[in-house]
Amino acid sequence: MKWIACELHSHTFHSDGRQTLHELAAGAKALGFDCIALTDHNTMTGLMDKETVQDETGITIISGMEWTTFYGHMATIGVKEFVDWRPVGPGDIHAGLKRVHASGGIAGMAHPFRMGSPICTGCFWEFKIEDWNDLDYIEVWSGTFPSIKSDNARAFQLWTDKLNEGYRIAATSGRDWHVQSTTDEPVSVTYLSLEEGDAQATEKAVRAVAAGRASVTIGPLLTMDIVCGGSAYGIGSIISREALEFGCSVNLFADFSVRQGLWELTDQTYSLRVVGNTGIIHECSITRENSYCQFEMNGIEAIWARAELWGIVRGVHVLIAFTNAVYFD
Amino acid sequence: MRRILLETQGEVSPVCSKSHITYKFHISEPGGKLCIHFAYGPKNLEDRELSKTLVYESIEKYIEPSRRELVQAKWESYLPLKNLITVSVDDPDSHRGAGHRHDPEQLLHLSMKDASPGLISGPIHSGMWEVTLSLHAVVTDQCKFSLNIWQEEE
Ligand SMILES: [Zn+2]
Ligand SMILES: [Zn+2]
Repeated sequence: MKWIACELHSHTFHSDGRQTLHELAAGAKALGFDCIALTDHNTMTGLMDKETVQDETGITIISGMEWTTFYGHMATIGVKEFVDWRPVGPGDIHAGLKRVHASGGIAGMAHPFRMGSPICTGCFWEFKIEDWNDLDYIEVWSGTFPSIKSDNARAFQLWTDKLNEGYRIAATSGRDWHVQSTTDEPVSVTYLSLEEGDAQATEKAVRAVAAGRASVTIGPLLTMDIVCGGSAYGIGSIISREALEFGCSVNLFADFSVRQGLWELTDQTYSLRVVGNTGIIHECSITRENSYCQFEMNGIEAIWARAELWGIVRGVHVLIAFTNAVYFD
Repeated sequence: MRRILLETQGEVSPVCSKSHITYKFHISEPGGKLCIHFAYGPKNLEDRELSKTLVYESIEKYIEPSRRELVQAKWESYLPLKNLITVSVDDPDSHRGAGHRHDPEQLLHLSMKDASPGLISGPIHSGMWEVTLSLHAVVTDQCKFSLNIWQEEE
């Protein structure tokens, strides 16, 4: 499987962004991205030149729209056409989700804990969710240098809480990119693992998010592969209890070669952990030069596990990268 | 030639926040360019005391208890509080886009040939059209708006 670098939350002047789709895609290219999702507020007209811009920049562009409602901002990607947000009240989000799914798209909470109305209208998620299975993902990291922001810590915790409750829900990052301006803050990347096959790259990317084949980072690409009795399971997989009985070997790798020269971390010993609902399952130390970690896992109580890479960035001990979960059933 | 389709003014207040106002109007002659001029004001809430009250209410509502004091100390960084009303358009058959942006005055158009950013170009059919004002936030005691819609030759 191939990993591609994606920016899943962006805007153009078709809503309140200050950039064209071409400027956005060229900017993404310069930052080492392979793919962007255009998620303008309540309109999809920014996608008019999608094919041309894809050809000119080589960036894969996923059609999307940010439902910019009074009760929450919901990123929708992979939608074929406009899905109307206006009929939806605070208790009706499931009706909206149903229409997004019917249109071929998936939906995630965008920046769910950002200050809400009237400071940032609808930015704080207030929709009542009756069934978390209907929601495909949570944008747990929003903006640049996301891992130090308290709103993101809450979103990350919300995701963890839902995993603990047994929901299989994906986590992504999104810059909420409105303008081409340089930042010296670390930029987050959502890497997606695309399946083989003839489907369009955009379709594969959306399916990767939906299946949680995603790894989020402000630096190296963190991967976790689990091999149980000869079968290999990637991030997002469900591993049955029977398969676990064979005993599994867990292979963790932080790929420091991605997006060469486009990010920087001071040389250090990083802490690489596998965590689940039962706490820390395994912990090892890695460096840039020696960034593999492998361990045997026999019998597991947890219902999910993810990998996390911790280290010092700009003098602060932070989460640098995390994978989506694997699930044990 | 300019054919006036709708001319209206209105006034909304904070209780109108999170509501929509939809105008339905009839286009009898198809074709040409549909133009929409929408303006509202004031944009900003100038009343400092009221702003402080509203920011503090938001902090209470959106920030975890342990961080509230920290955020209260920088309450002024959230000023000015702003009204936000956005425009969307629907033709007799389908949705024709939206202009979700912060400008308090917008001159929008759509026609077969082109459309303002956010709006969808295409035929101007005859029939009942809709223009919807979405009141994301009204923070001033009153907010006046005007909406003028007309059709002209392309
Ligand atoms: Zn948003
Ligand atoms: Zn956004």
